[in-house]
Amino acid sequence: MKILVCIKQVPESNRVEVDPVTGVLKRDGAASKMNPYDLYAIETALRIREEKGGTVQVISMGPPQAQQVIREAFAMGADGGVLLSDRKFGGADVLATSYTIAQGIRACGEFDLILCGKQTTDGDTAQVGAEISEWLKIPSVANVTRIQKVENDGITVAMDLPGELEIVKVKYPCLLSVDKDIFQPRLPSYVRKMNTKDREIKVLSLADMEDRDEKHYGLNGSPTQVQKIFPPASNDRKETWEGSGEELADRLFIRLGELKFLAPGPQGGGNSELVAAAAGEKDRRES
Amino acid sequence: MGYKKFDEQDLAYLKELIRDEERVLAGNEINEEYSHDELSGTSSYPDVVIKVKSAGEISEIMKYAGKHRIPVTPRGAGTGLVGASVAMEHGIMVDTTLMNHILELDEDNLTITVEPGVLLMELAAYVEEHDLFYPPDPGEKSATIGGNISTNAGGMRAVKYGVTRDYVMGLEVVLPDGKITWFGGKVVKNSSGYDLKDLMIGSEGTLGFITKAILKLLPLPKKIISLLVPFPSLQKAIDTVPEIIRSKALPTAVEFMQREVIEDAEEYLGKSFPDKQSDAYLLLKFDGNTTEEVERLYDRVARLCLEQGALDVLISDTEEREESIWKARGAFLEAIKGSTTYMDEVDMVVPRSHVNEMVTYLHSIQKEVEIRIKSFGHAGDGNLHAYVLRDGLSDEVWEQRMHEAMEKIYQKARKLGGQVSGEHGIGFAKKPYLKESLPEASLRLMNGIKKVFDPENILNPHKISEE
Amino acid sequence: MAKLIVHQDKIPDPQKLIALCPFGAMEEQDGKVVIGSGCRMCRMCVKKGPQGAVEYIEEEEGPKIDKSAWKGIVVYVDHVDGDIHPVTYELIGKARELAGVTKEPVYALFMGQGISEKSRELLHYGTDQVYVYDEPELARFQIEPYTAVFEDFIRKVRPSTVLVGATTVGRQLAPRVAARMKTGLTADCTVLEMNADTDLSQIRPAFGGNIMAHIKTPNHRPQMATVRYKVMNAPERMEEVSGEIVPCKISREKLGSHVEVLDIVRKEKEKFIENADVLVVAGRGVKKAEDLDMLRELAGLLGGQLACTRPLAEAGWLDAKYQIGLSGRTVRPKLMITVGVSGAIQFVAGMNHADHIFAVNKDPKAPVFKTAHYCLVGDLYEIIPRLIEKLKGKRGA
Repeated sequence: MKILVCIKQVPESNRVEVDPVTGVLKRDGAASKMNPYDLYAIETALRIREEKGGTVQVISMGPPQAQQVIREAFAMGADGGVLLSDRKFGGADVLATSYTIAQGIRACGEFDLILCGKQTTDGDTAQVGAEISEWLKIPSVANVTRIQKVENDGITVAMDLPGELEIVKVKYPCLLSVDKDIFQPRLPSYVRKMNTKDREIKVLSLADMEDRDEKHYGLNGSPTQVQKIFPPASNDRKETWEGSGEELADRLFIRLGELKFLAPGPQGGGNSELVAAAAGEKDRRES
Repeated sequence: MGYKKFDEQDLAYLKELIRDEERVLAGNEINEEYSHDELSGTSSYPDVVIKVKSAGEISEIMKYAGKHRIPVTPRGAGTGLVGASVAMEHGIMVDTTLMNHILELDEDNLTITVEPGVLLMELAAYVEEHDLFYPPDPGEKSATIGGNISTNAGGMRAVKYGVTRDYVMGLEVVLPDGKITWFGGKVVKNSSGYDLKDLMIGSEGTLGFITKAILKLLPLPKKIISLLVPFPSLQKAIDTVPEIIRSKALPTAVEFMQREVIEDAEEYLGKSFPDKQSDAYLLLKFDGNTTEEVERLYDRVARLCLEQGALDVLISDTEEREESIWKARGAFLEAIKGSTTYMDEVDMVVPRSHVNEMVTYLHSIQKEVEIRIKSFGHAGDGNLHAYVLRDGLSDEVWEQRMHEAMEKIYQKARKLGGQVSGEHGIGFAKKPYLKESLPEASLRLMNGIKKVFDPENILNPHKISEE
Repeated sequence: MAKLIVHQDKIPDPQKLIALCPFGAMEEQDGKVVIGSGCRMCRMCVKKGPQGAVEYIEEEEGPKIDKSAWKGIVVYVDHVDGDIHPVTYELIGKARELAGVTKEPVYALFMGQGISEKSRELLHYGTDQVYVYDEPELARFQIEPYTAVFEDFIRKVRPSTVLVGATTVGRQLAPRVAARMKTGLTADCTVLEMNADTDLSQIRPAFGGNIMAHIKTPNHRPQMATVRYKVMNAPERMEEVSGEIVPCKISREKLGSHVEVLDIVRKEKEKFIENADVLVVAGRGVKKAEDLDMLRELAGLLGGQLACTRPLAEAGWLDAKYQIGLSGRTVRPKLMITVGVSGAIQFVAGMNHADHIFAVNKDPKAPVFKTAHYCLVGDLYEIIPRLIEKLKGKRGA
């Protein structure tokens, strides 16, 4: 079985600030790390390999320093890695990023299973995985919380929906985006780090792609444009309420409504089921 | 010698003194928590709890207490484990948690001056914001600094950075007679007579009342990496500890942990630990200013562990990874507590070269005494925490076996050149064991010192060495 | 085609310019400042660097699309087995507001099986057309046939804007459709505004909410956005209906799928307080263990969980796994109501990241009020029963 995991290097800290006056983005140090959500995808891939055999490759897109996260994947147990790196890939939005990665995947050959993390901690879009699957014309399942069964022709997984789990079987080749906590990711191993120290990381640029039209990559291949960035409205409100119990309860009720905590539950059926469940719990305890 | 029974008149005087109803608690205003500390084995209610705000208030309280022979018990956050902050003779309890101000950060001298009620976690966060570092790192982060100084708390970083004592430069102290004085100061060196400041550290509130502390700070290390090292057996793991010390690589912490305690923590936290391949682990921590520097530091130790038979060396180099390991390590005490009905603790310390022998011994006496013992600890500094678990034992059997186990453990520690307590202190609960382990001359000196400071024995009676 | 040109002669201090780049994409090579592949084209260097040092050039502009050929705002009807997710109504409300600016129609796109009846409901919210694809292959969400239907709809109707709820389904379907249409998609928008030229201004948080980005899709149609539930306001349901239902057909062979739904398992109620969106936290102000039932009921009515502080766990009133704090579990709910919690630092360390914290405590000096956003000074035994009554009343109404 050939497994590919898409990974990304992200800033070590999410503590970014925008200077409200100058609009300059201030980042807390330049240190970077592997996107934490990708660790779950790597762990899932390694466990499937341990059960079924095969290989686990990783692919990333970014500047040359992003090789670091590929090395880290090696230390966790990945067998090989590719970095897509070219100045012309810079400034890419979701569409251009997913297109670049899909082109990169094509350049690396065929895979049975492609795994992605839920989202990245810098972009936060959770969209790149699904768009890659579209470019590759393969089926995809997101919000995978469990791997049920790995067979020779496909994989059975649980997709998390509000209120229920959908158990689906997907035929290979396919792409899965796994949820946080599907498995506890293993730590990188010093032994493997030493053993893979000299392992080659393939670096692909635009020239290595099937489609070399630079209009499809980077900023030029991006339909969306960032107009500006600005700091979020601060959330340091504080209110002290005094009054009779009745008054306070009524105010609390109204404010909960304004904050949309009284709206129906996630599937439109209201939260009656949860209430019933809570009430049921109570009844059982009392009986 | 008897104390005066605390009465209405005393209460009225103290209320008049403090002039704040909410800071003077008496009768059923006194919460149950004030009757014991974190391990509730020693229990006794004070007659009154005063939440003080200044050294002046404490001074007045001490003067009044001295005049009327009312015992006074100092108390911080109540997170101790040996009953040092329990009012054995009732009387007045002085709660310092409102004296929680950071008074001065002196970046020219790299010192910080704090009131005793500042919590360790607050101090750590505050200095970090200024790129500075207060190295002592006891497990209980919600303890007060006053309490830390009073027990000379150690913690995980002792291997490299030492203990609380190494970071206390000066103390403002209210003496039992009410006098307010200073020991030490913002000086790096000090050869000016007996070091009374050092005498105060670890005195568990029996000699004087700490009301201000000047603490030494270091520049904050920018990068921290931990190594989690699985071994095929506990023996192999702990046998490696003396080797690591000898290698001079100087980790900040060397802890050992076992599968069963990790499982308790997993259950307690509802989070799984990132490795399951082994029953015994060493957990090492390294710090420095860059990833490369820290990697150079740990490289030698990683190789050494592998030479000693480690199954692998796992690297924890991000916040998430550190949390997945250290959160579990931090929950051990609570997790073990949750796994049994009741427990008592042993906090002995042995020379580092004998750590492995002591751990092995702890395991062997479980069978011998037929009682469950769980242990983990600061293998790198020789300080081991062993918890004797009661489980389903009857009162009688528990008392008998627990004491037998304790006796044996302390005896062994003595034989290896160890001490009764590494960092939790003696308080009330460990007094008998201290008596057995110290030379008679030491005890006599300790009691003599106590008499010099507190001739009337007003301050925190029945603690440490008192008959 | 756009690029950045660096004019070396206009850089008095290279390191100062390099330091400006928030993505660390600039470096000095052989005495020259070069821009590497880390560049995100934020153009900070153009705007904040020395005058003329970095130049932004848009060369050989591609052909402009004909925006007038794309009309209308469509909302994807999110549902499971025909139960319409309320985010759908919120988006229809938003779509009507946006459409008001440019005088465009509002559509709903509804795909599923046996949904013809349900589709009428959408007419009570002011949609002009509800396009319904009712096929057995669409009974459950499957990425391939759903994308095919979405594509079919877009090609036929040519809407200028597509809004999709950021639900489990919407978050998979929208990007797949966007890639197929080779257009832009902005995730989790918190603000949407329509411009007169039909460009949609989309504002969304990035870097974990630490910054906000204003995004446009100037030369592609349709322009697509996802929005989370409870971000936009739901419109009132109108008594009368308006608009029409447009049944649609799609050829069967387009509805093939490589994903097969084997089973649907009802999820157990969220067991872990770490994952709960709503937490009611009991503290020592709660007098007896039995009183927890009241708080459990409150948590249930709000769709949340009951948790507690250390003293209650130690007293055995609740299991240690419901204990929040430094030595317990760390939580990050959207809503937390603490009841009779004093707010010891031990506890606060485990909870201070909640989005909305309401604290109920009799003591106006309780430390918990330092952390809470709403400090309710009062008796929990007066406030909570009354609140429960009101919540029940709402449900009955």
